[in-house]
Amino acid sequence: MSAAPAVTVQHLDKRYGRLVAVDDVCLSIHEGEIFGIIGPNGAGKTTTVECISGLRAPDSGSISVYGLSPQKDRNRIREFVGVQLQESALPPRLKVGEAVRLFASFYKDALDPDQLLESLGIKQFDNSSFKSLSGGQKQRVSIALALVGNPKLAILDELTTGLDPEARREIWSLIERMRDRGVTVILVTHFMDEAERLCDRLALINHGTVAALDTPEAIAARAGGSRVRFVPSQPVDEQTLRAIPGVNEIERKEKYVTVTGTGDLAGALMNALAAIGVRVSEVEARTGNLEDAFIKLTKNDASSFGKGVQE
Amino acid sequence: MSGSRLDESTSRRSRRQFAELLRVQGKLALREPYALLGGVALPAILLAVFGFIGQVQPGNVGTTRLTIIDLWTPTILVVSFILISVSLPNTLVRDREIGWLRRISTTPLHPSRLLAAQLVIDLILAAAAVLIVILEGALVFGASLHMQILPFAVSLLLSIAELFALGLVLVALVPTQTVASAAGGVVTFALMFLSGLWVNPAQVGDPLRTIMYYSPSGAAVRAVLDSAFNGGPSYAALLTMAVYTVIFGFVAIRYFRWE
Repeated sequence: MSAAPAVTVQHLDKRYGRLVAVDDVCLSIHEGEIFGIIGPNGAGKTTTVECISGLRAPDSGSISVYGLSPQKDRNRIREFVGVQLQESALPPRLKVGEAVRLFASFYKDALDPDQLLESLGIKQFDNSSFKSLSGGQKQRVSIALALVGNPKLAILDELTTGLDPEARREIWSLIERMRDRGVTVILVTHFMDEAERLCDRLALINHGTVAALDTPEAIAARAGGSRVRFVPSQPVDEQTLRAIPGVNEIERKEKYVTVTGTGDLAGALMNALAAIGVRVSEVEARTGNLEDAFIKLTKNDASSFGKGVQE
Repeated sequence: MSGSRLDESTSRRSRRQFAELLRVQGKLALREPYALLGGVALPAILLAVFGFIGQVQPGNVGTTRLTIIDLWTPTILVVSFILISVSLPNTLVRDREIGWLRRISTTPLHPSRLLAAQLVIDLILAAAAVLIVILEGALVFGASLHMQILPFAVSLLLSIAELFALGLVLVALVPTQTVASAAGGVVTFALMFLSGLWVNPAQVGDPLRTIMYYSPSGAAVRAVLDSAFNGGPSYAALLTMAVYTVIFGFVAIRYFRWE
């Protein structure tokens, strides 16, 4: 990983009329990482990457892509930035091989189209028209078009929306292989499992601002923490539980006690309860995941919009 | 690397890109043959129909020494250009609507090159239609061929420029494929009527005759007809087409959207 970031975004603002789409977003993306941008629908994710790719002009703020400005150095940036757009199709009767070869002809230093199709597992569709492909095959063609120029930076927007689980997993391993080849990847997604599995670092964008920026694990731990649910052999009072290190919240429902907190919560609980002679049964422990964090970090504003998200 | 070598390699690459685009757009034009069927096949069939009518009813039309096929050839050529130009929105509006033009604009290639490639393909189709109709008329039905080449060519080129520009106005203004095919239908019908395909402008009274003469398709037919048989084109018709080309070109450029 080199010292200079591949992409820096500073104080990016973008409005559409009176709607503020992006409000003071700052990001820095390292070379060779998979950088995820997550957030609710309409949070400003797509607008942010469209500004990075030069498709949209920011109202204010500055963007640098490998030291170049997407606005001023448009032509040079296009040579090494591959973009996979949300909801973009090919002419229905265009054949897969024709499309990839056409795009290869646009670039100075393109990959070999046949090898690329082979590595994406769509060589057998070389001669098939785009409209005859399934959703997963179309996505792979779309990825092929983003990669055929041999980009240093690939921007992939809503990559696996509408795909079945198997196709999603295949696309994921493909993205990992891209990173292994040294390509910097910006991945826009609203699937938490996708972000957790693929991304080295994440920015959570909500209402046009960066709500969190860290590794998926750190974001999950920070906002989610762990959760342990158990049935005690005899009632345990609140104070005893509160005294256990790491415990934040206690919830009781019927015979179950649910404790949320941080650190090695399950271990600390078991030891402390055993010491006072309480046995536990039906233990269910879960470490906080990104989805919990996502809901926690986005819910405050959501409830102010009149549609509160239940935890 | 010196500047000139860089320029040279850039221009070579740009030619290679355009050649590849032409190849792909050409193949698509064969697979989605709106322009091919309407612009080339239909005129050839229309000419055959008028040719056979001419053989059943030979002789002069009115006081001219011209046969039915002579008189209809210009109209058929203009109909070909109309059908090719209204096929422009079929492909380009679709390409814009599905995000293909936007996708192209993320590559080093500007989407205007795709538009240019499409126009070149359509120009080739128009040229093919002219050749087929003239040769079919002359060889099969014995239509007159003693036109003056230069005025005839100028009339044809202006007709094509004016009607293609009108097609691009449609591409610029209509938002979706559905609207494009509806608008295309209306425009086709209006242009065909004004060209005199159903009613000959010489046989209707004013103001309809004036409207037809100074309409885009009517002026085109008049210019081609005059340059083919009356020794030279009507300058009024040529000027009319030039003005339409400028106006349509301006509107198309002013309102064109890539996404």
